[in-house]
Parts: sequence; C-alpha cells; structure tokens
Amino acid sequence: MKAFAVAVICAVAIGIAASYILSSSQRFAWQAFSTSSARVSQPGTNLVGPRWTGDATGPHDAVAGETTAPKRS
Amino acid sequence: MARMKFLCDADRCIECNACVTACKNEHEVPWGINRRRVVTLNDGKPGERSVSMACMHCTDAPCASVCPVNCFYTTADAVVLHSKDLCIGCGYCFYACPFGAPQYPRVGNFGSRGKMDKCTYCAGGPEPDLSTIEYEKYGSNRLAEGKLPLCAEMCSTKALLAGDGEMIAQIYKERVIKRGYGSGAWGWKTAYRETVAI
Amino acid sequence: MRRQTTRIRTFVAAAMLAGFAGTAALPALAQQSAPPTTTPTTAPNPTADSVNEDMLFKQGPKIGGRISIPDQKAANLIQPQGREWRGFHETWMPWIGAAAILGMVALLGLFYFTRGRIRMEHSEESGRKILRFNGFERFTHWMTATCFIILALSGLNYIFGKRLLMPVIGPDAFATLSQWAKYAHVYLAWPFMLGIVFMFVVWLRDNIPNRIDLQWIKAGGGFIGKGHPHAERFNAGQKVVFWMVAGFGTAMGVTGLMMLFPFAATDINGMQIMQGIHSLIGVAFIAAILAHIYIGSLGMEGAYDAMGSGKVDLAWARAHHDLWVEKEQARTASGPQLRTHHAPAE
Repeated sequence: MKAFAVAVICAVAIGIAASYILSSSQRFAWQAFSTSSARVSQPGTNLVGPRWTGDATGPHDAVAGETTAPKRS
Repeated sequence: MARMKFLCDADRCIECNACVTACKNEHEVPWGINRRRVVTLNDGKPGERSVSMACMHCTDAPCASVCPVNCFYTTADAVVLHSKDLCIGCGYCFYACPFGAPQYPRVGNFGSRGKMDKCTYCAGGPEPDLSTIEYEKYGSNRLAEGKLPLCAEMCSTKALLAGDGEMIAQIYKERVIKRGYGSGAWGWKTAYRETVAI
Repeated sequence: MRRQTTRIRTFVAAAMLAGFAGTAALPALAQQSAPPTTTPTTAPNPTADSVNEDMLFKQGPKIGGRISIPDQKAANLIQPQGREWRGFHETWMPWIGAAAILGMVALLGLFYFTRGRIRMEHSEESGRKILRFNGFERFTHWMTATCFIILALSGLNYIFGKRLLMPVIGPDAFATLSQWAKYAHVYLAWPFMLGIVFMFVVWLRDNIPNRIDLQWIKAGGGFIGKGHPHAERFNAGQKVVFWMVAGFGTAMGVTGLMMLFPFAATDINGMQIMQGIHSLIGVAFIAAILAHIYIGSLGMEGAYDAMGSGKVDLAWARAHHDLWVEKEQARTASGPQLRTHHAPAE
C-alpha cells in the first residue's frame, strides 16, 4: 500500500513538473511567427484587447465591463 | 437561406494580400494568427497562380465531425462556426481540415495551446450578435450587419468572391465565358463536393 | 481681315486635332470591335500553361506553394487527406474501439463463468510468505498503472465522450471535464513513459523467452490445462504481458510525442497517421490491460498479493513459479543472509 501511495504521489508530481516544463517551452503565435522587424514585444496594442492571453476565458471575463467597446462603424 | 461560400478566382488574384490585411484589421486578429492567407503556387514559373485561402465553411465539415467536444455548429447560412468556451484545443480539427484553417494562440506543444481560432466568415460566434464579448472572442460580425466578409469586399481585383454559392458560381461562370479561360474554383471539390463547371 | 485669318487658323487647328484624334482612335475602335469577329478560343489563353487543381493533385496528394507569412506550415493549400482521417476517426474508430474493449470484457466474462476463479491450492507451506516484488518494483508498477488508467479514460474520452458522456452531463460540463482530461492525458503521459522505462529495465532480465515458456504454453499455462507447468519468475503469459506493455508503451510514447510537438518530426499527414496508430494501439492496449487486471485480481486467488503487499503465499508461489521459488530459496539458504533481513523491511 505504501508503494502504491508513493507511486500515485510521484505520478502527480512528475505530471505537474511536466506541465511546468511544457508550459515554459510554449510560445505564443505572436512570438513564434514574428520577425525582428516586427515590434510585437508589447502585444497589448495590436492584439484583441490589452490583456489578450489566447484563452477565451481570460482576464477579460473577470473584468468584462472594464474593457473598451470595440470600434465599430 | 443562402449557402455562403468563398470562391477565389486564381486568374485574377495578384497576391496583394489585401484580404489578409483586411481580415486581420477587421477582427483585430493577433499577430501570428492568419485566418486568411495567400498561397502562391508554382512561384516564379510560367503559369504561377495565387490562391487566397481561409476556412471554406465546408459542406459536412470534417472539423465539426471530429471535434471531441462538438464545439462546432453550422448557421442557417451554412457558415461553420465554433464555440471557444467549449473548445479544448485538442487540434483534431487541424488534422481534419483540408485547408489548414484552424489556428492556435500558442505554438510549441499540444498541451496548453489555447482555444482554436479560425475564419468566422465575418459572422462572429455563439454569443449574442454584435456584443463586446463576441467581438473579443471571434471578431466582428459583419453578417449580422448585413455585410459580406471584408476580405472579399476589399479584394481589389474582385478575385475573392464571397456570398451565396450559386450567385458567386454564376459570376465566376460569366467571367470564364467572357474571357474564355479559368483555372477553376480552388478547393470547391474538397470543400463542397462539387465544382463550378467551366 | 485679321479676325477672319484667326478664325481660319483656329478651324485648321481644330481640323488637324480632330484628324489626329481620329487616327489615334481608329485602332482603339478596331480593338473594341474585334471580339465579336474573333471567338475567344483563338485569343491567347493566359491559363494555357497555368497550374490548376486537377493537375496538381495528379502530381502529389496535397497542394502547397509559397507563402509570405512566417508561419510556413500555412503554405499548405489543400490536403484532402483530412477528410480521409476524419472518415477513419469518426466512422471506423468508435466501432473498432467498442469492439476491442467490449469484446475483451465479454471474453473475460465468459472465461470467468466457464473457468471460474482460479483458486489457491493449499499445501503444508500455506501461510508462509515469500517476497515476490520489492518496493521499487511495486512503485514503478503502480505509477505506470495509475497513469495508464487515467490515460486510457481520457483517451477514450476523445472517441466516446461526446457520444456517451456529453448527452448525460451537458456540453459545458463535458467541455470542462474534457479540458482537464486533456491536461491529464498530456501531463500524466510523462510519468507513464518513465514507468515504462523503469519496468523495462527492472524486469527485462526475467522476461527473456526460453524453452520453459514453450512447455508452459504447450501445457496450457494452468488456465486451460490441468496442473501447473514449470515456470521461472515470470511464466510465458506474463512475459507476453511484459513485451506487450514494452512494445505498446513505446509505440504510444513515440506516436504521442509526435502529436504533442506538432510539426517537430512530421507534417500534417504524418500526424494524421500517428493519431491513427496511437488510437488503434491505444484500444488494443486497453483491451490487453483489462485481461491483465482481471487475471491479477479477480481471475486468480493469491495473485494480487504480489503487487499488493509484495509478499505472496509460498504455496501459491510453489505452484505457479516453482523454478523461481527453488532458485530464491537456494540463494537465501546458501548465500549471505542479508537479503532475508532486507526483504521483510520492504
């Protein structure tokens, strides 16, 4: 039983470690597909909203009322 | 209801990329994500042709079929849309899409690449039409305003046609008859299981 | 007089201008009136040597070109193989998966009701224990096993989730669940792959096939036949499980990594094939492991202790792994007694 408990804890630990390593190697499309001439080091201004994370449920949803209305003709 | 389609007249496309730029600007598409792109075939050789390609909003769309969470739906205009709330970013739609339309905000590994993004035919998403939340997730909803996709509307040579499939096929057919040539409706056979007879 | 000459001069100039314009306009006029006289077929056809879809599909299975954006994989214009992959994944895979798993469950059920539970045979050695798997062996087994169960369930979710679970719990709850299942699938794959490597290293020595296995198979391995044929630490059936896990585990790992890092090793068609292999081997793996779980728990009395506490009943060990027991006892009797002190401490 002890071996089983250690195994489960270890599996979860390795899984979490893997998630951190994989996430750290993850790059945004704007990082991966930009060239040195493209100034996208501050993605806020040319992405959807200043805090765009790529997730549909990101910081936007928490402060939905705060975001500026999109420009619309 | 109309059956919305895209048709790129490759004999008119001059690879100006205005459609790409129009799309990016209209929807504030993030850098690195291309809902629409222009591919040049046989570049630099005689017979070179450019084709502007995005989601073709297929009949019996493969992406919708393979999605493990069924996040795709087809509107009354036969536009294939998806819900970013349901999408889990698994990438099955990318495997299934014949046109490479699905895009992900993060590249590198499959684990946490985020919600899929693709051409919406300027028709937004499942949120209420013309709402802020819809704009932030899917871009603007021109169809709800009675307008056609901006890429086709902006096309300087009118190579890219958008609208009811029968109407744009008719326009293309007339062009072909008048000028005497045409390299066909690119992708139609794969997307709609039919092509424009020329 | 003066006015008259001016008027004449103006008239001449106007006439000259008109004449010039007329001659200049003549070719334009001719050009405009040309199409009705000549049919379009005789006109130069700019598409005579242009590329077209049918021609390009004859040259290769997909159409690609050059693109001016940094994302070079977008240069692929049309890949109709996506539809074929969809056909496999949506029409074949659910049936193959269901047949493999339900077939195995039915088979095991049939086996249970015909053969019944394989009972422990008691002898004078009953009650005494012998260490079969040490702590590390049990650790690596259970790490791989728990990961496998999560991976199997989250993997099956990709195929059957929307068909079975989604109608029950609703799309939103199902999407959340699937999101976490995807994370679990991707991240628990790593301890699983590590466990496969550990198990391979630890048990390889005892799993080399030899002649005893042939006799074991001929004798029906104690399942079908009567009595217990000779066996070393692992009998032929267990060796099959070992090599199945090693082979399938490696295949799942390799195909999974190719999908985990898109475009790192293969293109889009390669990933479609990898996904096909991954899912086909996946369901076979699940079916095989179901049999393994059955025989290790319900199917055979006394077998679970080997992985539970690590110590098995000596009578059971003598019956199932007689050669191993002899070797083990010879070692502890003649060799240094160190091992017997260490073993119970595990």
